[in-house]
Amino acid sequence: MNKIDSILKEALDKIKTAELDTIENVKVEYLGKKGKITEILKTISSLSIEEKKQIGSEINTVKNTLNEAIDSKKKEITNKLLEEKMQNEKIDISSAFSFAFPKGHYHIINQTIEEMSNIFVSLGFDVAQGREIETDWYNFEALNIPKDHPARDTQDTFYLENSSNLLRTHTSPAQIHIMEESKPPIKVIIPGRVYRNEATDASHSAIFHQIEGLVVGEKVTFAELKGTLSLFIHRLFGQEVDLRFRPSHFQFTEPSAEVDIKCVLCGGKGCRVCKGTGWLEMLGCGMVHPNVFKSVKYDPEKYTGYAFGLGVERFAMFKYGIDDMRVLYENDLRVLRQF
Amino acid sequence: MKISYNWLKDIVDFDLLPQDLCHTLTFLGVETSVVSGGIKWEGIITAKVLEKQKHPNADKLSICKVNDGEKDYEIVCGAQNVEAGQTIALATIGAVLPGDFIIKPTKIRGVDSEGMICSEQELGLKEESDGIMVLDEKTPLGKKLEDVLQDIDTILEIEVTTNRGDCLSHWGIAREISAKLQKIPNLPQIKTAKFADSNIIEIKDKDLCTRYIGCQIKGVKIAPSPKWIVDKLESCGIKSINNVVDITNYILLELGHPLHAFDASTISGGKIIVRRANPTEKITALDGKIHELTENMLLISDASKPLAIAGIIGGEFSSITEATTDIFLESAVFNPGNIRKTARTLNISTDASYRYERGTSWEVAEMASWRAINLIVEIAGGRLELREDINSSDNKKVFIQLRVERVAKILGYEIDEKTIANILRFLGMEITTKVEKVLTAEVPSYRNDIKEEIDLIEEIARVNGYENIPVIKDSNSFVNTGKQNTNSSKVIKNISNSLVGLGFCEVMNYSFSEIKDLDKLYLNYSYKIANPISKENEVLRPSLLVGLMKNFVFNIGQATNDIKFFEIGRVFDDKGERKVLGILMSGPIWQTWWKWEENKINPIFDFYFAGGVISSILPSNEFTISENRSPQKYYHPGKTAAIVYRGKVVGQFGVLRPDITSDVQNDVVYAEIDIEDIENNYQSKIHPYEHIAKFPSVKRDISVVSDKKIKFDKIEKVIKQIMKTGGILKEFNLFSVYESEKLGLDKISYSFRLFYRHNDKTLNDIEVNTDMQLLLDKLNKDLDIKLRS
Repeated sequence: MNKIDSILKEALDKIKTAELDTIENVKVEYLGKKGKITEILKTISSLSIEEKKQIGSEINTVKNTLNEAIDSKKKEITNKLLEEKMQNEKIDISSAFSFAFPKGHYHIINQTIEEMSNIFVSLGFDVAQGREIETDWYNFEALNIPKDHPARDTQDTFYLENSSNLLRTHTSPAQIHIMEESKPPIKVIIPGRVYRNEATDASHSAIFHQIEGLVVGEKVTFAELKGTLSLFIHRLFGQEVDLRFRPSHFQFTEPSAEVDIKCVLCGGKGCRVCKGTGWLEMLGCGMVHPNVFKSVKYDPEKYTGYAFGLGVERFAMFKYGIDDMRVLYENDLRVLRQF
Repeated sequence: MKISYNWLKDIVDFDLLPQDLCHTLTFLGVETSVVSGGIKWEGIITAKVLEKQKHPNADKLSICKVNDGEKDYEIVCGAQNVEAGQTIALATIGAVLPGDFIIKPTKIRGVDSEGMICSEQELGLKEESDGIMVLDEKTPLGKKLEDVLQDIDTILEIEVTTNRGDCLSHWGIAREISAKLQKIPNLPQIKTAKFADSNIIEIKDKDLCTRYIGCQIKGVKIAPSPKWIVDKLESCGIKSINNVVDITNYILLELGHPLHAFDASTISGGKIIVRRANPTEKITALDGKIHELTENMLLISDASKPLAIAGIIGGEFSSITEATTDIFLESAVFNPGNIRKTARTLNISTDASYRYERGTSWEVAEMASWRAINLIVEIAGGRLELREDINSSDNKKVFIQLRVERVAKILGYEIDEKTIANILRFLGMEITTKVEKVLTAEVPSYRNDIKEEIDLIEEIARVNGYENIPVIKDSNSFVNTGKQNTNSSKVIKNISNSLVGLGFCEVMNYSFSEIKDLDKLYLNYSYKIANPISKENEVLRPSLLVGLMKNFVFNIGQATNDIKFFEIGRVFDDKGERKVLGILMSGPIWQTWWKWEENKINPIFDFYFAGGVISSILPSNEFTISENRSPQKYYHPGKTAAIVYRGKVVGQFGVLRPDITSDVQNDVVYAEIDIEDIENNYQSKIHPYEHIAKFPSVKRDISVVSDKKIKFDKIEKVIKQIMKTGGILKEFNLFSVYESEKLGLDKISYSFRLFYRHNDKTLNDIEVNTDMQLLLDKLNKDLDIKLRS
């Protein structure tokens, strides 16, 4: 008995101090074919069955103990070696961000259109498209802007040579196309490019983008127009932004309004951007004029509707603090990569 | 237009301060702001100049001894008009002038100054002033300036929308205020008299002139105007000329109706004829220019010559001079559209034309005429000798019916009938009710913007206040079209998402281009702008390449050489207006990369890389590549391909001609894809789920050598034929293309990876080898292609 115990103690001591190259030797010395434990087993054949059973089981326990101790020592050694190896493999991580994957970018105007369209889509609007070359009828006449009307002064028009066609001055002609092609209810926005014959400077461009909106139904009111546009502005600029509806005039809406928001830069105190007024003009809107319904053969007694139009560049410029509109069309990679 | 705050107060009694008035008017739809005037200072007192001496070190400055009744001050003053004995406005140390300008003790050219003698401009009382403000000599000294200045006026700038020509006067603005505040405006007393028509006026073109009132006043004395008229004109930015002309301008500002005074002695034949011009006629106008007239322009003429371009500008010859004693005074109503056309053609805009274009009133025309006669006789003397009034059309009152329920239907809230009637009455309308819940409004002729019921509803909405319209956000009342709402086309979105994911930047260019730039790209234009802003913007772009090429050149100039751009926009060519996608790529695919030098991974965009980009962004593998049978001329003819969808060409791509890109080292690859076509015709299919094979694939790589003349798609076809037979070859891909002298100059090698698979078992080598041999045999037999050794 004592012998087994002392062999076990001796073996465990050796395991404790063993290294990766000696641990196998310890195993052979005790558990190998000629190992010390194996040798004891060979000596028990003369004992009685009872004694054999007892010693046999003791030796098995010892064997298991040793095997476990050897395995765990092995694991300990390999872990230690791996740790050491990994410590030696430590790299300089500090340059890794210098190798960014070349990233693509959407143009800021399209990002803005997308952002606004998404809000309108979430409010139940469909998205449609219009044409950029238009006729006088769609761009003006059908929108209640007759020839030689002073309202045309504010929309200096590009005309095409050898043709009576023009480049649309606003996205509103798309309203007419949509109403001609479908029946109410209508609830749609039309983003697109428009053209005005005016010199380009920091805040004007002969080409810019608008989002047109049109809602037609049997119970559409000014109160809903206010509701929809308030929701839109609050989703775009945040719930805390104040807005106001101010009477204005557009030939194709009556009553018409302009929507101002409290200047997002100065909070209404008055600054350079809001020209000291504390408010920023954001969009034009109104109830669809009965003459517009008549030009698409809708019954203005049955249907009412509202329309709105907003300038995309203006929003983008306010949002990102861009002070020169021309930057948007230079397509300088140093700018494109900022957004 | 400039409006005097005090003048408004003369017409309608209100308590609003200028800023509050601006707010009220803005919320009635007339954008109003303060431009000058009002009290915007602190610490300005009245004082007397006791002595004036020349500044020892400056010719233009003087040193003034000034007294405020108690104390003397020494002030350095630069104004030329300062004199001893004047009572002036003194800003002492610590005073604040408009713009938060604080007066501090200063030394001017070596002399101490204890304050400043103010001009009206410095005080913000006028936009411009000449020298210091001189006060009445009886003004007590040492008083606050605001206490001694009576009637400190504030000048407002109003912006009137094109439909509200009636607001372009003090009376017009006063009407708005009176409607909002429910106060009745006081108009000046106008004396009228009965006159027998004298048959001197003839309206030949009745369509362009609906009323003409002419009168002759004899024996007037032309002289400078009294101060009160000069002040009022000047405060509104109009220069004083002489009493008669000033009175016509005064009435323009007061009532908003343009008047014109002729020197009656210049009218020959005793006739005033309103007619269209003859095509050869000319007139020297008050602007000193000779204007050539056309037959659509309306003239005021006498028996032999034109006197004025109707409603726009008078002739120089017939104008009022100091020698004038008899005048002919015109008050008329002309056709707005015609006036606008003429003014635009002649490129003249006057206060008169501005109002006529917006429409004038036949009722106000008469009022203005009598008001002018009253004032001229009172101020310039003379007597009214002749008067003739011709109504050449049915100048009738307009009546409009308004259904009370319609107001709620449009605005979304109810306003009671009494409130509605009240608003309309204060806007100058007579209201009667014959049928229940239906009001009849008699609209004054100056409100030519009110033509139908909806216009009355707008009046009610704005006077009652837009802020009182409820904000309905209840989604149940919103229009529901029952459609599935879609954002911008999914196809486009997927394609641009892919491009951005691959590192491409989206650009946006103007739609205009210059013919010179198109020529360089072998492009023709289809649409020319009739009135371009400049030569650089003379035509509509027939391709996105024009803009993308500019962006490319610009950015290459900024020391970049890896360009990956795309644009989605309209082009305008012989097929009309189309929406296309343009992709331009050039230079290294990766700019720099971790150990890219040792790994040799710094490829440059060429035709094949571009093909890789394009195939990965197209929405499905139904898009295929094919010979470009009618390539755009800007492509290298040997390096271009067509993109085909279900047998139809939807785009082209290729390397740009070397002569287009001669300044750049690398190839520039450009693709233009008819995205509108894809949007309209592409049908996205739902691909049913394919079970993943239970048994593993066996992968084999083979390299074959082919004659260069054999196009790759021939080889591809053979492989696909084998796959179609339903054998064990399930997939393949091309992973390398190789050319070298060793292979022979006319040879090319392709390496394929082949995947063999059986649905019911694991394949063994023999089965795979047998099948692969079938492929090799067929390639050899059909195309004389051999396995590379």
